[in-house]
Amino acid sequence: MVLRSLCVLRAQAAASLSGLPAALLPGGSGLDLPGSGLVLRSLSTDVFQNLALEDWIHDNVDLHSRSILLLWRNSAAVVVGRHQNPWQECDLRLMRRSGVPVARRRSGGGTVFHDPGNLNLTFFSSRKNYDRARNLRVVTGALRALRPGIDVRATDRFDILLDGHYKISGTAAKLGRTAAYHHCTLLCSADRPLLASLLRPTCHGIHSNATASLPAPVQNLMDHDPSLTPESITRQLAQQYLAEFGSGGLPVVPVQPSDPAFGGIDRAAAALRGWDWTHGRTPRFSVDTALELADGAAAATASVHLEVKAGRVEACRLAVAPEWLPGGPPARLAARLLGARFCPSEAAAVAEAFLRAEGGGATGARLGARLGDLCDKMVALM
Amino acid sequence: MGWCAEVMRVHLAVKPLCTVQSVDRHSVKMAMRVALRCVSANFSHKGPRLSHLPQISAALQLRRTDLTRTLSTTSQLSTALKFTDKHEWVQVDGKVGTVGISNFAQEALGDVVYCGLPEIGQKLENMEEFGALESVKAASELYSPLTGEVTEVNTDLAENPSLVNKACYKEGWLIKMTIENPSELDGLMDDAAYEKFIKSLE
Repeated sequence: MVLRSLCVLRAQAAASLSGLPAALLPGGSGLDLPGSGLVLRSLSTDVFQNLALEDWIHDNVDLHSRSILLLWRNSAAVVVGRHQNPWQECDLRLMRRSGVPVARRRSGGGTVFHDPGNLNLTFFSSRKNYDRARNLRVVTGALRALRPGIDVRATDRFDILLDGHYKISGTAAKLGRTAAYHHCTLLCSADRPLLASLLRPTCHGIHSNATASLPAPVQNLMDHDPSLTPESITRQLAQQYLAEFGSGGLPVVPVQPSDPAFGGIDRAAAALRGWDWTHGRTPRFSVDTALELADGAAAATASVHLEVKAGRVEACRLAVAPEWLPGGPPARLAARLLGARFCPSEAAAVAEAFLRAEGGGATGARLGARLGDLCDKMVALM
Repeated sequence: MGWCAEVMRVHLAVKPLCTVQSVDRHSVKMAMRVALRCVSANFSHKGPRLSHLPQISAALQLRRTDLTRTLSTTSQLSTALKFTDKHEWVQVDGKVGTVGISNFAQEALGDVVYCGLPEIGQKLENMEEFGALESVKAASELYSPLTGEVTEVNTDLAENPSLVNKACYKEGWLIKMTIENPSELDGLMDDAAYEKFIKSLE
């Protein structure tokens, strides 16, 4: 039974590989492709695998005389730019509850929401041929071909606006040593309510020089015209791209990132999925905010100052009115948080150990409840 | 401006490491102390090993060459810039090199909005990604021109990343690092050679 499954898998892998020109693979045969444009479509819906696939193509494919368009879609994810602060960009708590991961890409730019209703396009080229305006003309050209008269325009920030007002596409790019990629989103039928609720930051009081996002009103192309589905747009995009960049009649090639031909993608995807990259790569920031404390009968406010570097608490100051809590415990909690990740699960573990240590001996019920409340509010901050 | 269609030959490769943080004066002083300690440690390590006879002469040879190299560097107090084909410059002052990007590079990059630079103490290999500059055009990676250790990071760039555009050879410097293999400098271009190189790209 196992043997048969393996055979089936191998056959499937071979089938998906057979459409790939040999020249696409590392140490390519130097096969002369007719024309210079190639369209690939990823079969993965995992944002980390697809980001790793992007990096792989960028690093391994000879793009001197060839251009590639990679089309990909992911299950729900929030993708932040390389130098952004996820705490400042989205509701991380809601995302954890909803099972929506945060990903950090290697290109610059702002935060976007991905789901199967959003189409991602990556235009690979040599650095010399890096031309975002040309790439976006492929997109607007494809949309106009599908729906003549549609008002879609690229702005000077390389967003694409529908009806001069709604953002349907955002752009980001990465320039490497000899090659470059420009990728953009395209909202076809994304879950807009989910997008709106997730892209609402909940951690307040952040001071940071991380690159900020520019929020914009959005719309789905399918709301404008139901025939503008991800599938119909994909087909037209491929045609438009090959017409612009030259193809010689090559088909759209499906690629499976987990295929062993793409060596190291799983490892790269795992690194991209890791907390150290997604959160730890955040530029240093500080948080200055107030915690609303309560014990059921009365209320108080605590002021919090935190400094976070590489995702870990580098400094922490907690000031609580002495009539609410004596100075000792808050200071001890602050000290325990040093070095911990700015992350609720780690903070909760620290808080638990702290409460156990404080809980023994003379702590009364009210003091214990107030300490517990302080801990909960600290954890909720992250 | 039509900066979409320019020739992009800026070879700034980067692996995002840590970002520029506001390093306080104390940390900078500590870093300098570390750098100085590294320099003195280098001298002591280059001493001959007495345990293996055949190696003594080789070690002595090495030491002599290094001393000569060091002496010639310090006596020149070289401030001449050397360039990589990735449009970075290195300015050597004793055993420390200051690294930045050239005017050609900053022009091609466009307005820099963020500098992602390594931490002090980070060890870099020649040609290894050490950071990224994010500009309105793209995130552009930075490649280390030399092998060595980061001793200083330009903290002014945290608040003022546009210094890279405005004063790429002076206040817009990126990092300072130790120079582990001075011979790597021989492979870099001087001012005249770099000018010629840029012209060949246009």
